[in-house]
Amino acid sequence: MTKRITLAATTALAGLMLAGAAQAETITIGITQNNVGVDSYQTTYEKAFIEAAEANENVEAIVLDAGGDVARQIAQIQDLIQQEVDAIIIWPTNGKAVVPAVRKADQAGIPVVITNSNIAEEGFEFIESFSGPDNITQGAYSAELMCDALDGEGQIVQISGQPGYTTAIERQKGFEDRLAEACPGVTIMETQPGDWNREKSQRVMESFLVKYDEIDGVYSGDDNMGVGALNAAKAAGRADGMIFVGATNFAVGYEAMGRGEYYGSIYQSPVDDARNALATAIAVVNGEDVPFLNYFDTPKITQENMEEFSKPVF
Amino acid sequence: MASTTSPDRIKDLTTVLARQGILIAFILFMIGFGLVSDRFLTPENLMTVVRQSAIIGVMAIGVTVVVLSGNLDLSVGSMLSFATVLVVDLHDKLGAAPAIGVMLVATLCIGAINGFLVGFLRLNSLIVTLGMLSAIQGVTLIYSGGKNVDIADQETTWFAIFGRGEVLGMATPIVIFLGLAAIMHLVIAYTPYGRRIYAVGGNPTAAVFSGIRRNRVVFSTYLVSAFCVGIAAIILGSRVMGSQNNVGQGYELLVLSAVILGGTSLLGGSGTIWKTVIGVLILGFIQNGLLLLGFPYFAQWIVTWIVIILAVWLDVAAKRGRLFSPIA
Repeated sequence: MTKRITLAATTALAGLMLAGAAQAETITIGITQNNVGVDSYQTTYEKAFIEAAEANENVEAIVLDAGGDVARQIAQIQDLIQQEVDAIIIWPTNGKAVVPAVRKADQAGIPVVITNSNIAEEGFEFIESFSGPDNITQGAYSAELMCDALDGEGQIVQISGQPGYTTAIERQKGFEDRLAEACPGVTIMETQPGDWNREKSQRVMESFLVKYDEIDGVYSGDDNMGVGALNAAKAAGRADGMIFVGATNFAVGYEAMGRGEYYGSIYQSPVDDARNALATAIAVVNGEDVPFLNYFDTPKITQENMEEFSKPVF
Repeated sequence: MASTTSPDRIKDLTTVLARQGILIAFILFMIGFGLVSDRFLTPENLMTVVRQSAIIGVMAIGVTVVVLSGNLDLSVGSMLSFATVLVVDLHDKLGAAPAIGVMLVATLCIGAINGFLVGFLRLNSLIVTLGMLSAIQGVTLIYSGGKNVDIADQETTWFAIFGRGEVLGMATPIVIFLGLAAIMHLVIAYTPYGRRIYAVGGNPTAAVFSGIRRNRVVFSTYLVSAFCVGIAAIILGSRVMGSQNNVGQGYELLVLSAVILGGTSLLGGSGTIWKTVIGVLILGFIQNGLLLLGFPYFAQWIVTWIVIILAVWLDVAAKRGRLFSPIA
């Protein structure tokens, strides 16, 4: 009974895989993640990954976590090579430092799929595919949201993610490039990092509010920081009419949107992220054609269309 | 209490400058920024910075007490994460007052473990609290499951008073910070308990032979530190109305920087609470001032480093009575 329900609930993608691997013996896929438990995104990702793997009876998954430690991740990759798994999925702790280990896997004939955030370009020849969100497009989407909300006219500030993080850099670049191109009337007065930390972002915004008499909009690298900025503006009594746009929609951002205080964001589901990674790895093992950059969809979410999305679990 | 206040002879103007170096540096620094940015010295901005500094400040008061007794407490960063996650999470489950109570008890328990290991087992405080730093991070991750915690009803809860409210026309975090600083200053400078802390930090052997129970004094300093972290967590949780499990990451170094800036000797036995307050404010105003001038974020890190080196140098110079080492 339970089994039937599980089967029925299997996603279309996984269903395809089942059909593809019908003749099949079990394939083993190893994953080494970045730092599970450090944030709710990664926690949900792991849960979804395990569920997706369990739902597919032809897949056996070895799920590992590097705890944010590059050395441990490299050791885990070596372990997976020793175990002769059919494919390795890596969520890099550091895009450059894992490249030698990835090369070793490639030399051992084990296909590698990178998930969530890509490795450095010199490692591209050793991997089969990258599965994850397209941060540049996300930044561009946020720019379009900001442009729409301000009718193409205004002065904004930007609170970016932790300096040095690929996600932070790419989102900022995507946002700035698209804004300059589509919306020359909106200018970014200043950018400061909020380090993915709501309290830090709140502090930065407080200083912005002292410094600038007129701020029309705030773009934050994720909603967690965006809500920090919103807190600061509300405390200063200046939130009315100020446009807040974020990325990676968080539950707090979703709720603020429901209250009409937050304009929009980018909906990025860790569940989609995990399923996409597993599906990509299975397809690679089965010899199917997989795009090198295998992005999953991260649509715009605003006050108008938020009903179509379920509230994020993080 | 040998080396508590070695009466330096004031030889010339240089020594005077060096003696109050931190205060003079602070004033010069404020004037400098005030001249360059017209927003810097506005009451609004000054209040914003002091309010922002309150969290680091309250923690620094506790750590100063630990350092005065000759030990370190590096666990305060992850203890802050833990305490904030706990108080915010329990707020919606138990109500504000029980949440604060449970959080303070839990935080004091961590302080008691630190205090027991350093005070009674005489283990090295650097190792004990560095270990505690990662252990508590782990506990916080397990407790929260990596999820952010939030307070649902932000508009009506009285918990908002600590981070967002006002007391006597002044922002509550400022009142708590300066009030706690004043109380601790009186306790440390004028009570027998305070003198015991200086004694234990200045010369532990002499302190023990004078009948001071060194173990108990050291143990108590960790309770003070943990209590201060608990207060900081209340301010932080109320200000943000939410928490994430890495919210206090790196705070231990900011706090220690502020204590060092204030001229408290890392060897123990010398330093004051009010100079730590100045150290906290300098750190806060550096960040704010450079941001108002539009400097990139990394300029803050570099300038902070320069200021700390300068402050430590002036402090050392004050103690030996000259700017450069007399021994080649």
